[in-house]
Amino acid sequence: MENKWEMLESSNEEREKIWRLNRTFAGDVWFRFRRKPTAIAGFVIILLLLFFALAGPAFTDYSYSAQNLEVVNIPPRMTVYDAPDGSGYLYITQALKVVWVNRDGTLGSQLKKVREDSEHSMTIYDCNGTEVGLYYGFKPYVMVDPETRVIFSSQKIWNQSYVLGTDSLGRDILTRLMYGTRVSLLVAFVAVLVNLVIGIIFGGISGYAGGTVDAVMMRIVDIISTIPLTLYVILIMVILGTGLKSIIIALGTVYWVDMARVVRGQVLSLKNQEFVLAARTIGSSVKTILMQHLIPNAMGSILVTVTMLIPSAIFMEAFLGFLGIGLQPPLASLGTMCNDATENLRSCPHQLFIPALVICLIMFAFNFVGDGLRDALDPKLKK
Amino acid sequence: MVRYFIKRLGMMLIALFLIILVTFVIMHSIPGGPFTSDRNVSKEVEEALNEKYHLNDPLPKQFFDYVGNLLHGDFGPSYRFTGKTVNDFIANGFPVSAKLGGVTILFVILASIPMGILAAIKNGKWQDMLVMAVATIGVTIPSFVIASILIYIFSFRMGALPSFGLDSWKGYVLPVITLGGYSISYLARQMRSSLLEVMGQDYIRTARAKGLSEPKIIIRHALRNAMIPVITVLGPTVANLLTGSFVVEKIFAVPGLGVHFVNSVTMRDYTTIMGVTIFYATFLLAMVFIVDVFYCLIDPRIKYD
Repeated sequence: MENKWEMLESSNEEREKIWRLNRTFAGDVWFRFRRKPTAIAGFVIILLLLFFALAGPAFTDYSYSAQNLEVVNIPPRMTVYDAPDGSGYLYITQALKVVWVNRDGTLGSQLKKVREDSEHSMTIYDCNGTEVGLYYGFKPYVMVDPETRVIFSSQKIWNQSYVLGTDSLGRDILTRLMYGTRVSLLVAFVAVLVNLVIGIIFGGISGYAGGTVDAVMMRIVDIISTIPLTLYVILIMVILGTGLKSIIIALGTVYWVDMARVVRGQVLSLKNQEFVLAARTIGSSVKTILMQHLIPNAMGSILVTVTMLIPSAIFMEAFLGFLGIGLQPPLASLGTMCNDATENLRSCPHQLFIPALVICLIMFAFNFVGDGLRDALDPKLKK
Repeated sequence: MVRYFIKRLGMMLIALFLIILVTFVIMHSIPGGPFTSDRNVSKEVEEALNEKYHLNDPLPKQFFDYVGNLLHGDFGPSYRFTGKTVNDFIANGFPVSAKLGGVTILFVILASIPMGILAAIKNGKWQDMLVMAVATIGVTIPSFVIASILIYIFSFRMGALPSFGLDSWKGYVLPVITLGGYSISYLARQMRSSLLEVMGQDYIRTARAKGLSEPKIIIRHALRNAMIPVITVLGPTVANLLTGSFVVEKIFAVPGLGVHFVNSVTMRDYTTIMGVTIFYATFLLAMVFIVDVFYCLIDPRIKYD
């Protein structure tokens, strides 16, 4: 460039133009949501959990209710003893039965008991024609050769038949976990949907009508919010009986108060804006104005409330399941799985820790997504 | 100010009446009488039982009789345990629950407020991160999971603390941590954010400008105002502790009112469910009211409209 002071050729409009990407509101929200790693992590976890709960059962060979009493309380990682002929392993269950384990870690059937040798505190089992002894004189119980009383060499291997082990009725924990997650998410989503409908109708009417109607309706909300609602969820469960439908009804009809407050506040602030006046001028009915104009504009904060309500619904469901007033037995939810597992916490802690971990994952994921959404929808943070 | 309290009291009484009404209607809308269920009772016996408990009276009369009895502090007989009244259950169970709850409240206050202050003073440093991480965990993990993990580690693995009973101070450690976990996290967050807000105010800058030491500023000037929002959430905290005690009493085999309530639900002991629900609700409303009064008394900025 020879003359550094030569005029550039840009026109005047170009110079005045604000160089900023034009984004839609949704694009803007997504842009801000995306920049928060915790929110994205939560979002991915929710997607993975949904996939796990919905598609998972197609990949397992077990059903959530089929009991197999031969393989009760088997952990994911087992201590096994070499079989005398070396073709597999032997596993001692907590009920002092011996289960055959193949070399690849899959479980076989229980060994046949031959006789009791109480003199040497041994139970003799038949293993492919040779006799093996289960020595129960001291803990931990071991497999021995009944003649020489030499302990078979032992090792730890992963359970390949039941990846997460089995519960106290011999059901596959992985399969039950998939169904449990599905039930917990289903309860939460449907209950929150019911909350949403009631809250939108109640809050929308209250906010739009204003005046005495609003005052009376808000007093009702005030009174309801002073009542300890957990007790009423339990009472409703008592009348309706345990079951999936009762939980959804109980949770759905009780927790709409927050939603109603949020919707009312939004409607109240929006209803005096010009677009509502315009809609009224062209003769739209109240229903159209509420449903077509006001609620869609309030959707941001409603969405945040929804993502915060879902974890509390899951929390409540787990709470009820844990108290034993949740679902009916063969059906599993994360709460009832935890409840079932407390009885043998000492010997099989994995039965409790696995569903508990999933509950925590769900709670974290939804809380993070809710936080992220709230920040993303807040226009004050726009950069 | 007095008018405001009278209004609050009126609201509370309406809420209480509604609670009694709704509970009564719910409990009487269950199909079949309380004696028609499992045991095979003959028609005559059932009639006699219905007569004895006035179940043949019209519902409104039953309701007003029940309210009348409540005003005299009589919650009626239990349908499942002959010869026992609901009052017996409350008299036996509530002191145990209240003692556990009282210890927990004390623990919650003593733990959460320093945690919140520490996090606010060290805003953005590792202490803040640590407190907030603990608080997030406390809010998101259900209490029964916390309890089970604590029992597994401290009772089964280490054998240091008992897994049930409240016989010695050791027995209180795990239930109190479990019961208080959620509230500690919640209050610590509240304390942190309100103290952070107060520390940005002008009068704090004034205090700094006149050369006061940092501890003095925090204790004398900032903390007083920062405590106010924390006190408001104490009411709901009491509510959380009470309903949280269902789970905690069940896990730790504490013979309190919460575990009795859950048992009466699974055994369908209708009068006990009704009585204990009303008792809990009244207690909670009273607590919230007391906190509210206290709140108004300490913060002169509040408007009474």
